[in-house]
Amino acid sequence: MQQQATLHIARPKSALLAIAMPVLTAALLGVVIVYGVGFSPIAAAHNAAHDARHVNVFPCH
Amino acid sequence: MLFRRIVLCALLVGALAGLLVSAVQHWQAIPLIAAAEVFEGSADPAEPTLAATAHDHDHDHAGGDAHAHDAETWAPEDGGERHVWTAIANVLTAIGFGLVLVAAITTWEHLRGGPLASAGTGLVWGAAGWICVFGLPTLGLPPELPGSVAAPLGDRQGWWLLAATSGAAGLALLAFVRGPLRLAGIAVLLLPFAVGAPHLAGGPFAGYDIGIARQMEALAGSFAFATTIATAVQWLALGALSGLAVARWVRPALAELAPTP
Repeated sequence: MQQQATLHIARPKSALLAIAMPVLTAALLGVVIVYGVGFSPIAAAHNAAHDARHVNVFPCH
Repeated sequence: MLFRRIVLCALLVGALAGLLVSAVQHWQAIPLIAAAEVFEGSADPAEPTLAATAHDHDHDHAGGDAHAHDAETWAPEDGGERHVWTAIANVLTAIGFGLVLVAAITTWEHLRGGPLASAGTGLVWGAAGWICVFGLPTLGLPPELPGSVAAPLGDRQGWWLLAATSGAAGLALLAFVRGPLRLAGIAVLLLPFAVGAPHLAGGPFAGYDIGIARQMEALAGSFAFATTIATAVQWLALGALSGLAVARWVRPALAELAPTP
């Protein structure tokens, strides 16, 4: 019953602000890494990740 | 504190999922790439038949074969070195996706205010990620083998990004919004298909001898199947591990940050 109750506590709007910075920074870092490996036009990056780009079905060549 | 926990969890989750998927690919998708590379470049004599798109094609081709012909640019040696770089790239990709997944699951649990993250709910997040990053983009742009010709790279990358982001936005609307606005999620999901994926007339193997084109088509079919399995394994592993990691290592940091009243 207690568990149920805590599940439905709506956090105030400030709850999102409290974690917005770390969460957004982490997600952005993830997007930058995926872009670097899968989409970067730098030739050496393309060559190193060539097979990984194909098997992860990123557009390649 | 929270940032450090999320990053450490994503590093661990990404390393495990990336190595797992590298092993899976090693016996199914990678051999198909090697088989297709035998034919890659054998279409050159027929290239003028693609005159309508000659400029784009030439450009594309030069970029695509850089790993084989451009002596100036570094490329891994075939064999062990190439496999190692593929595994590194897979692990990095998985870490990148893991960062987004762990951050998303953390936000979800924090805003709902209960212990929701687990391996089981993580599987649902992983399945959603697979739909956004594999399912929807692949409906418009089928998995490519080396040697296949396609629309200019920039156009395809742009469409891929549109399909993945509108997939994420559409699924989020459907899952988290109450009321009629939720149905807008379907429209957002369909948007990239209304725009249309970039394609060349003539198909991916135009310019090859008919016999080789047949073999490439057969390889492409097997490759589509192999990548579907491998990416599904990757995303389900990413999801389950991310859910577990949030439950174990991020939840304590959340509790510290904003104690539940």
